[in-house]
Amino acid sequence: MSQPRRFLGLDICLYGLLILYALITLIPFLWSFSASFKPLSEIVSGESNFLPRNFTLNNYRQIFIEEPFFGRWFFNSVLIAVSVTAFNLLFNSMAGYALARLRFPGNHFWFLLILAVLAVPSQVTLIPSFLILKAFGWLNSYQGMIVPSVVNATFIFMMRQFFVNFPRELEEAAQLDGLSRFGVFWRIVLPLAKPALAAQAVFVFMGSWNNFLTPLLILFDQEMFTLPLGLNTFKGQYISYWNYIMAASMVFTLPALGIYAFFNRYLIQSVTFTGGKR
Amino acid sequence: MIRKIQSQPGDLGEAVSGYGFMAPAILVLGLFVLVPIFYAVFLSLHKVQLLGGVEFRFIGLRNFGRMLGDERIWIALKNTAEYVAIVVPVQTILALILAIVLNTQIQGRNWFRIIYFLPTVTSSAVLTLIFIWLYNTNGLLNDFLAFVGLPTYNWLGDPNVALKAIMLMNIWSTAPLFMVIYLAALQDIPKSIYEAAAIDGANGWQRLVHITIPSLKPVTFFVITMGIIGTFQLFDQSYIFSEGKGGPNNATLTVVLLIYQYAFKTLDMGYAAALAFMLAAIIIAITLIQRRFFGDGRLN
Amino acid sequence: MKRRSFSLATLSLATATLLASCVRGLRHIWNSERRNQPQTVTVSLSGWQANPNEQALLAQLLQDFESQHPAIKVRYETIADQYMDVIKTRLIGDAAPDVFYLDVFQAPFLMNKKVLEPLDAYITQDFDLADFEPPLLNAFQDRGQIYGLPKDVSTLALFYNKKAFAEAGLSRPPQTWQELREFSKKLTLDRNGDGKVDQYGFGVIPELARQAFMIKAFGGRLVDPNGYAAFATEQGLQGLQGLLDQYRQDRSSAQKTDVGTHSGSEMFAQEKVAMVIEGNWAIPYLTETFPALEFGTAEVPTVNDQPGTMAFSVAYVMNQQAKHKAAAWQLIAYLTGKEGMKRWTRGGSALPSRRSVAAELGYDQDPLRSAFSAGVDYATPWQAGEYLPLIMDNFDNQLLSAFLGEQTLLTALQQAQATANREIAATQ
Repeated sequence: MSQPRRFLGLDICLYGLLILYALITLIPFLWSFSASFKPLSEIVSGESNFLPRNFTLNNYRQIFIEEPFFGRWFFNSVLIAVSVTAFNLLFNSMAGYALARLRFPGNHFWFLLILAVLAVPSQVTLIPSFLILKAFGWLNSYQGMIVPSVVNATFIFMMRQFFVNFPRELEEAAQLDGLSRFGVFWRIVLPLAKPALAAQAVFVFMGSWNNFLTPLLILFDQEMFTLPLGLNTFKGQYISYWNYIMAASMVFTLPALGIYAFFNRYLIQSVTFTGGKR
Repeated sequence: MIRKIQSQPGDLGEAVSGYGFMAPAILVLGLFVLVPIFYAVFLSLHKVQLLGGVEFRFIGLRNFGRMLGDERIWIALKNTAEYVAIVVPVQTILALILAIVLNTQIQGRNWFRIIYFLPTVTSSAVLTLIFIWLYNTNGLLNDFLAFVGLPTYNWLGDPNVALKAIMLMNIWSTAPLFMVIYLAALQDIPKSIYEAAAIDGANGWQRLVHITIPSLKPVTFFVITMGIIGTFQLFDQSYIFSEGKGGPNNATLTVVLLIYQYAFKTLDMGYAAALAFMLAAIIIAITLIQRRFFGDGRLN
Repeated sequence: MKRRSFSLATLSLATATLLASCVRGLRHIWNSERRNQPQTVTVSLSGWQANPNEQALLAQLLQDFESQHPAIKVRYETIADQYMDVIKTRLIGDAAPDVFYLDVFQAPFLMNKKVLEPLDAYITQDFDLADFEPPLLNAFQDRGQIYGLPKDVSTLALFYNKKAFAEAGLSRPPQTWQELREFSKKLTLDRNGDGKVDQYGFGVIPELARQAFMIKAFGGRLVDPNGYAAFATEQGLQGLQGLLDQYRQDRSSAQKTDVGTHSGSEMFAQEKVAMVIEGNWAIPYLTETFPALEFGTAEVPTVNDQPGTMAFSVAYVMNQQAKHKAAAWQLIAYLTGKEGMKRWTRGGSALPSRRSVAAELGYDQDPLRSAFSAGVDYATPWQAGEYLPLIMDNFDNQLLSAFLGEQTLLTALQQAQATANREIAATQ
């Protein structure tokens, strides 16, 4: 605790604000958590009671037991999200590092191109992308879900912005010690980039886990569906089964939250990192 | 300068390793992002029929000319610009404040971090339900406003506030994402700089203004750019609120909603693509201007 | 005019295709070695899922079809959301299912694009085409050819809360629109006197899909023969004006968002409104979810002394690219045949589109469903040419602003019409 003691009043004020904001983010979540244990009639009754009056596990039973493919959907989602995340961590970091550090012809061009690519809304590239996957014969397949997303322009950009700020001295020292470029990257740079990698892992995982539009277009068979796709069928044209929707959303919110909670540890100043000779 | 001289002999090697590092990105983005974009460029110069007897008729820039007479684009652009102007600064500053506060040694910071992240993992279907419940005329938000003596609104029905309702929802659900990025960036500021400043007698505020914020510049450039892209491409929330129609009276119409309507409802892909590139040009122009202010941490 | 002009884009797409065909070729060799199965063909079928019960019912039907036709396997590819966007994309990519649902409202667009297989040649005598309700069958015809066979139909009728009616001393549902407005005033209550209405007389849904028959009631029309919007006339707006006056002047009706709900059936179920005009799909929802709610149904009150309502229908259509067309037809014939339709509509969320099945199921005698069944005869099918989706977006967008009192009905809808027609002209 290097910080000097402040006024008690300031502390109370700070905690007050923190708790207030926590309520703003927590209440909707708690409300939907509680709604996932309510029957439909209670959810749409228009009352805002937080504790379910007619507690039921039926909504979860509908998802876990009545949906014959639930296990398969969960497996598909995990397989896709995990492999996409692993590839992204490596490839985005490599590209971001090259853009931030390596002096090669076209460096600036590629950087601007990546920015420009991000500016084009995906609505107009959906159909061409679909045609490409179709040409590869990758519709309704895992590779169709995974390969096009192993690299993500957003996170190349993010990693570049992180690497730009890194002190060069360590890398140069390592290079003098005879490490190759990739060796420097792998042994020196990546370990230093843990917080950025953690943030990236969380986002890429979440993006893949929640991705709806791509699987909606390219996955045909129920056995190939991902969780959000499989569990979306409760939202009807005229009538929505909010009870199932709430339970379904809890089921696919919690893994993403778990990943975040896990990687959160890297977002806290760790002794090994800050204690290093920087 | 010194470094430049040192790395002179390795220039070719550096070029090779540069492209080596970039290869997966160039390959995948080239095939799955650039090719579709080129295809869209091609479409934007044509009158296109994609369904049943594919037909392309070259019409030059006429799809772009058509925008001038399309009043809905101007409405959509105005809505979108207003949205960007409010949401981007608010969410960036909120994210920065949250990150700085949660990076201190306060009690229970881990819990706060997890709780604050909840809005980003909540699914959009659930958000809709919650917000219609919160925002309706007799809903929780109005109850609260009435309780503290502020005016109440018809949040969803009134076009003057419908966009603001969407803004609130977007800020609430996006700020935590950027908070996480700032948290990660804060870990990378060498502690030695702070220690040196403390020895020089800098107080907390001075350290924040002179060390923390300048060190975060490259990441701030990222956060603002992504904020601009995300808000200019606003679609989901507006689609949910107006069932894809942009009402009432075009109040929630956004550029991407228009693009979607043309691309999928009438399959007018040529015009949709032209609109998309107009939007992309605006986003790129603003990003480049913004870069002058914040800098992107150039490679020098 | 330069057709098929060449550019970098097509070149790169071509390269991608070339690369891909290598991959595919290899896979083909690999697969063909394993594929030496007996002569069964697979037909793919796509639809959306309205609710879990309906899903189970369809699965059962498909299973029965397969056991009756051992040489045909059905692969059901459910589309979880944005149904038409997905179908259009898959049609463009030649990856669409062999048989799929098509909403009557979207039918002209696809029929006009010539991506559907005309069914006339497949229809046999004993399929009994004449048994279908003519307006529904007509809705899936284009230039004398049949492209789809309606699997069912839904209409709108008035739902009324019996308890609220008794409380207000009303013994029967309103029969004319004037009555509906009078009744609504009596049914609008501020129970605790806090200045906020607790129960509105009527729940109004200001959307074209629900109100198109109102345009016809006084002699207006939705579109002209070329498919351009033509509703913004005095006659066209008279019916809607009544709805608007009730909302703005009588203040005896409410929209779903006014009372914090998502649909007409929800505001009725929560007893925020005493009457609502909803579809027959609301019946199972209300009886299953709100068993305590006492409600009745009646035909939509007459407007200008004429009966009117909307009819929503969905057909099975065949993809022109379907590989096994004969088998695909077998599937359509089973699902829209007498036996299949009886099993499908017995669930009670939709009405049969065949007269014989309607008679057999006795929905015209059913206390809750007779009003809907009666409506089939005079309903306006929810269809008006190829550009209806575009017209609808502009109409709904502007009608809402008239309901908010920002513009008069006429200016609002003139604007909607002008915008819609400008866009229609631009797409041609």
